[in-house]
Amino acid sequence: MKIRIRHATILGLALIAVGAVVFLIKSAVLQYPLRPDARALLWDFEIYLEFEGRNAPARIEAYIPARDVERAFPHEEFYSGSFGLSLINEARSPNRQAVWTYRYPDSKKVLRYATQTLGETVSTPLPLAFRESEPQVIPFEADPVKRQAFIVWSGNLRQRSADARSFATLALQSAFETRADNEQYADEVAALLGDDTSVQGRLLLAQQLLQSQGVPARIANGVYLSDARRRVETRHWLEYHVDGEDFRYFPEGTPDRFFTVWYGPRPLVNAAGVDDLDIQVALRSRETSAAAIAENAPGRLGDFGRSFGFANLPLTTQLVFQVLVTIPVGITILVFLRQFIGFKTLGTFMPVLIGIAFRETALLNGILLFSLLIALGLTLRFYLERLHLLLVPRLAVVLIFIVLAMAGITLALTGANQAIGLSISLFPMVILTMTIERMSIVWEESSAGEAIKQGAGSLAVAAITYLAMTNAMVEYLMYQFPELLFVLMGSCVLMGRFTGLRLSELWRFRALAG
Amino acid sequence: MLKTYQALRRNGVIGINERNVRFVNALNERKFLIRVDDKELTKELANAADIPTPTLYGVIKNARDMKRLPEFIGHADGFVIKPAMGSQGKGIIVVESPLKGGWRLASGRRVDMEAMTYQINNMLSGMYSLGGQPDKALIEYRVKFDDVFGQVSYKGVPDIRVIVLKGVPVFAMLRLPTSESDGKANLHKGGVGVGLDLATGITQRAMQFDQLIDIHPDTAHPLEGIQTPYWDEILLMAAKSYDVTGLGYVGVDVVLDRERGPLLLELNARPGISIQIANRKGLRFVLDKAEALGRNAKTPEERVAIAKSLG
Repeated sequence: MKIRIRHATILGLALIAVGAVVFLIKSAVLQYPLRPDARALLWDFEIYLEFEGRNAPARIEAYIPARDVERAFPHEEFYSGSFGLSLINEARSPNRQAVWTYRYPDSKKVLRYATQTLGETVSTPLPLAFRESEPQVIPFEADPVKRQAFIVWSGNLRQRSADARSFATLALQSAFETRADNEQYADEVAALLGDDTSVQGRLLLAQQLLQSQGVPARIANGVYLSDARRRVETRHWLEYHVDGEDFRYFPEGTPDRFFTVWYGPRPLVNAAGVDDLDIQVALRSRETSAAAIAENAPGRLGDFGRSFGFANLPLTTQLVFQVLVTIPVGITILVFLRQFIGFKTLGTFMPVLIGIAFRETALLNGILLFSLLIALGLTLRFYLERLHLLLVPRLAVVLIFIVLAMAGITLALTGANQAIGLSISLFPMVILTMTIERMSIVWEESSAGEAIKQGAGSLAVAAITYLAMTNAMVEYLMYQFPELLFVLMGSCVLMGRFTGLRLSELWRFRALAG
Repeated sequence: MLKTYQALRRNGVIGINERNVRFVNALNERKFLIRVDDKELTKELANAADIPTPTLYGVIKNARDMKRLPEFIGHADGFVIKPAMGSQGKGIIVVESPLKGGWRLASGRRVDMEAMTYQINNMLSGMYSLGGQPDKALIEYRVKFDDVFGQVSYKGVPDIRVIVLKGVPVFAMLRLPTSESDGKANLHKGGVGVGLDLATGITQRAMQFDQLIDIHPDTAHPLEGIQTPYWDEILLMAAKSYDVTGLGYVGVDVVLDRERGPLLLELNARPGISIQIANRKGLRFVLDKAEALGRNAKTPEERVAIAKSLG
């Protein structure tokens, strides 16, 4: 007894836990949206190169988005014209390069790369490999003057800082210190920057300062996803990891959303053998369903999410499952109404079957048609009673009569309201026949009142389950998160061991409550 | 509402959920259920264990048996036709006597041979059986009920329901037909349930439609203080039913016949819980106590002694 209760409780809770964990992974980690109308901004990213051929061998290298941190680009497009295209993965870096080559290009040529991205935010984690501390590196080995200046300056910063984190802050500060024309940088900074006071030059200095303390740092380049334009500036920032935390330093202002294309100090495009090179980086934003994006999530986790879904099935099968997965919701509600409230219904799952039938007719029409057919059927059933027919033939007569009545109603309504006329034909006649038979037995054996009470109770439960099963939210959640079936199953197991009194029994036994 | 709930829990009132989970499902093995679901088998088993039942006149299983119907029903003092696997008294025909080439039913209606075969055919096709499976019709002795409850009955036959836990009778009630229940003793149709003192068999206060009452709604006769005859025999029959069926939680239905004394009418593996209102007492604590005490009892007589001490 006790063991059985514990067993059932463990099983129920385990099922609920399995469902809930998968649900949480999908909703929180994979960002499956919880609302059917959730939209997300998808960005079309494009690199567009235009140039004049010199009628000499040409080689154009362009960085294309690096595969990094669970990123994947399933919809990449290249337009190469007559150029040869090869893709190169840089050694020891996630960078990828597209290399276009042609022996004798002449006239104007166009090359294009396009992909889609959701972009990243400041909270997007840096790769795990990035967290290992690196050996301390002093740059400028070939240039003793700069080397000396670097050592002095980093020593100065080290003295003025308390730890690696404050060192990083100071290093960035000093590298990006701007002076009016007449003021002078500290000698060392001036010497180290030289003539290159561009953002990239300063970032490189900051990176070198950080690496000299063994802090992993890299320059990242990409675009800010704030405006959709034909020509977007490429931006540069520094990513570093200190004290177990990821940092990004954006010298040009922190964006809400950005898209990293490549790493390192080199420019986006390197071209040889062409003239008048025009590099356009274009962005266009586009609204799309958030669910579609989540379903395309890359990596193993994405596969895991997809394995709990129907996206890989043929469309017609998907439509079937869209309906099927809502039925357990109706069943669970029915269990609750019976075990906790104490609803009396004709047959066990009959109300849910009627509720499913309402899908075809809509609620009000369904209830009206259902009541009408039951009333007609009951009249016939009482007449047949006098003929003393055997059970099975009698059921068959009722069923044929139901089909006739449905045909009659359909014909009568077709002129007035096509929708009702068509929907009625899908009403399940076997369910109707069995309901009529059950109701007439209750009618005879108990009373007309009891029969009508149970009939009305069934209709009420049917209406409740129908409303639940056709709720857009329920339909969406059950279809997008079929693991919730485990949760429903688990709660039914738990309800199956419920030994408390039903709501209706409180009324029934009120005399004993003293 | 919460207060009502707590008060009912405190008084040990059990609901259908608890009855099913803790008693019916836990104590009644599925393979034994056929022993109570098939009334012909119940009768055989009971007779073998010296539990008296109404005499079986005949069984109709198919159309061939139907030809023998006249020889089964040739009894001047009437007979009863019932589906072997019916529940809640559904489909039972009580025939009082022959009448003008046909028969007179207990309800006063007259039926002819054709109507009767139609009813029997309905039984055979499973109209009254659980799940609609093919059934058989039993034709048996019509109980001539003892007059002791005559003043508190309206038509029909009063019967005694005893709830038995692993052979220990725990709760008993007298079920009386009323005009509202159409002469049937079923509580949900409006029959009166009268609590019976387990030790003595004397009637206590009563209920109808889940409400407490003191007098019979039709005869206006007080319901309290009537001594049930053959009480010890009834308890012993109930206790023996456990050895016969192997079912741990059953309702035993007994009728009192004027000549033959108490007869076992049928057994029920899912006895209702309204008996708690009739006895003004929740079942749980009595069931727990009976289970603890009954563990060492070997014979039906020992278990009856435990029952009488439950009070």
